[in-house]
Amino acid sequence: MLLNVIDILSQYWELFLIGQYPHGPLGGLVNTLILASLALIIAFPLSVLLAVARTSPYGIFRHPVTVWVYVMRGIPLIMIIFWTYFLVPSLIGRNISGFTTMLCTLVLYQSAYLCEIVRGGLQSLPAGQTEASRALGLGYFRTMVFILLPQALYNSIPSLISQFISIIKETSLGYIINAQEMTFAANQVNNQLLVKPFEVYFILAVTYYLLCFGLTQLAQWFERRIDTKRQGDALIAT
Amino acid sequence: MIIFSKVNKWYGEYQALVDVNAEVKKGEVVVVCGPSGSGKSTLIRTVNRLEDIQGGQILYNGHDVYGVDSNLNTLRSRVGFVFQNFNLFPHMSVLDNITLAPTKLKGLNASYVKTKALELLDMVGMSHKANAYPNQLSGGQQQRVAIARALAMEPPAMLFDEPTSALDPEMVGEVLSVMKSLAKEGMTMMCVTHEMNFAREVADKVWFMDAGRILEVAEPETFFQNPTHPRAQSFISDIRA
Amino acid sequence: MSQFTQGLEKVLQGDYLDIILRGIKMTLELAALSWLLAMVIALSLVVIRLTNHKVAVAAVAGYVSYHRNIPTLVQLMLWYFGISSLFPYELQMWLVDQNAEFIFAAIALGLCQAAYFSEDIRSGMRAISSGQTEAARALGFGYLRSMRYIILPQGIRNALPSLINHTILLFKNTSLAMAIGVVELTYATREVENYTFLTFQSYLVCTLVYLFFSLLLMFCGAIFAKKLNKVYAR
Ligand SMILES: Nc1ncnc2c1ncn2[C@@H]1O[C@H](COP(=O)(O)OP(=O)(O)OP(=O)(O)O)[C@@H](O)[C@H]1O
Ligand SMILES: [Mg+2]
Repeated sequence: MLLNVIDILSQYWELFLIGQYPHGPLGGLVNTLILASLALIIAFPLSVLLAVARTSPYGIFRHPVTVWVYVMRGIPLIMIIFWTYFLVPSLIGRNISGFTTMLCTLVLYQSAYLCEIVRGGLQSLPAGQTEASRALGLGYFRTMVFILLPQALYNSIPSLISQFISIIKETSLGYIINAQEMTFAANQVNNQLLVKPFEVYFILAVTYYLLCFGLTQLAQWFERRIDTKRQGDALIAT
Repeated sequence: MIIFSKVNKWYGEYQALVDVNAEVKKGEVVVVCGPSGSGKSTLIRTVNRLEDIQGGQILYNGHDVYGVDSNLNTLRSRVGFVFQNFNLFPHMSVLDNITLAPTKLKGLNASYVKTKALELLDMVGMSHKANAYPNQLSGGQQQRVAIARALAMEPPAMLFDEPTSALDPEMVGEVLSVMKSLAKEGMTMMCVTHEMNFAREVADKVWFMDAGRILEVAEPETFFQNPTHPRAQSFISDIRA
Repeated sequence: MSQFTQGLEKVLQGDYLDIILRGIKMTLELAALSWLLAMVIALSLVVIRLTNHKVAVAAVAGYVSYHRNIPTLVQLMLWYFGISSLFPYELQMWLVDQNAEFIFAAIALGLCQAAYFSEDIRSGMRAISSGQTEAARALGFGYLRSMRYIILPQGIRNALPSLINHTILLFKNTSLAMAIGVVELTYATREVENYTFLTFQSYLVCTLVYLFFSLLLMFCGAIFAKKLNKVYAR
């Protein structure tokens, strides 16, 4: 079995890694990473705005975002993919690729989850921070931008990394709409080989595992650092 | 009732109990006192084997606590133990806290156990809170429930490890008065406490510990007026000051 | 507008309604079965880990890490296309007769979710003070009984919010089973859409159904948490 795995890898490693590129579209692991990174890079700033709105004292900002978050958390990612696949082309008037569909979907979906993370970070800050800042004469927005957000975002770095892991795992759903990424590539390999499904999906699983496990370790390292920093702060505070 | 003979205990390199010989007689109230870190908690916790010993023997109600044939859980269910920080079970009502052990361990009839539990609650002045949850109670109330919980197993002796140390001053009295009434009823008691007035009023014997040894065993009057051991003398003058 | 409502009526009638209802039933069955499987495995994992035996702890950690770091969809495909191909031929044939897609989906989802549940319960138990164990031991409760009456109930209560969140995730993840051909709600919706070309209406119905059940779970979770907070705040 191990021999089979090595065999498949030596023959198809390019397909796993970059898809059909340069003879066809870029795909495989590289595209999985590009897709996940783009999704995070676009969704994150969006989620900060959403989080500020979600914690704002004004109902007109707060309520729509709250509804948005609940809706996104309440329906399966596949359904959102189908919605995007169906709605975006009719909105912009032309067809979009599987990759773009997947990117839009992940941004929409993750903006809600990331929003909840940032909100958690904001709400776990001691109330004294707001009070002190307001007492200095800073207004609501300056307090948010200069005092609260920097602390909240720093504290949520570990959650951000684990959310990035979630995104990487979610990109695998691109396979369902033929977006070029690693799971799609694996299925192409499987369709060419036909007789070694276990080996192919095993390789796929191990690759995801190594990638995500590495990132988990990174998140834990950050968490320890932040904890030590907090303890330091606590010592100074007492 | 409780006999320590040549008890030795180590935490790694550190010897926490050194050749402890002592006896709590039936119906007696013994107060264990001494400076912090002297081994009081360690000693009282060896009786129901919350701590193991490495040498010597402890007899509880005639049973060898560390004997090969003794069943640990049966032994523990016969020792009433009250903790410094109550340790009530927060997911159960006051009544359930008390009835849990008698029903589950002794298999007693539920309604009988409940009647008895209500009597006990009445005794500690907590029957009006039978259906409350621990976090709805003050510290003093929680500790009184904890005493009732221990009594529900009808133990021949009760052990207290600093039962009032975690309480605000105004609540110390209510717990001590429950302990006093227990003593009056003839309960055998071993109490680690810093409440010297309680010792003076209720105790039959005071044991003074330092550095893992029992240095002095005396009647409370003698202990507080004329302590013989120099360490005990300085301890007494410290608490007077 | 009237075109829209006409379409909606069509989707919610006769055969199409039937397909959707059967899809809902399948989704709920899959969710319930894999939830049960996940809970049983999760509790076993927690108990195994509590033994503090080196090998046992490492094995559980490996199990959790494996299932949390691989996409659920890939786990589904690995089971359905991969692992099943290693089974003896007779067993494969037998499974095909027994609705193999459903069985493998339940196994894959259950095993995967067990990893999350067990971590939830474990961190819930870590939040219990050591005094609780001591008090239980001092009353004479042995290891198993203090687990059963004192430690596990509290641990599960502490873990409840994340257990609910992960239950919602499991419920949503049942939709992944369509990728291996389980005719659950999402699959059924696609079928209706294929027959009727009423994409908007069929997606809307499906989305609302998912939303209804997810919100129901969130609502129950919130009520429960409120109740617990009242009597059980630390
Ligand atoms: N688990 C442990 N591991 C190592 N050393 C311990 C442990 N528990 C207690 N000790 C040590 O044993 C000694 C006796 O501790 P013990 O808790 O019995 O003191 P104590 O008389 O009850 O003090 P206090 O009045 O502060 O409660 C102390 O020096 C303590 O540091
Ligand atoms: Mg002590």
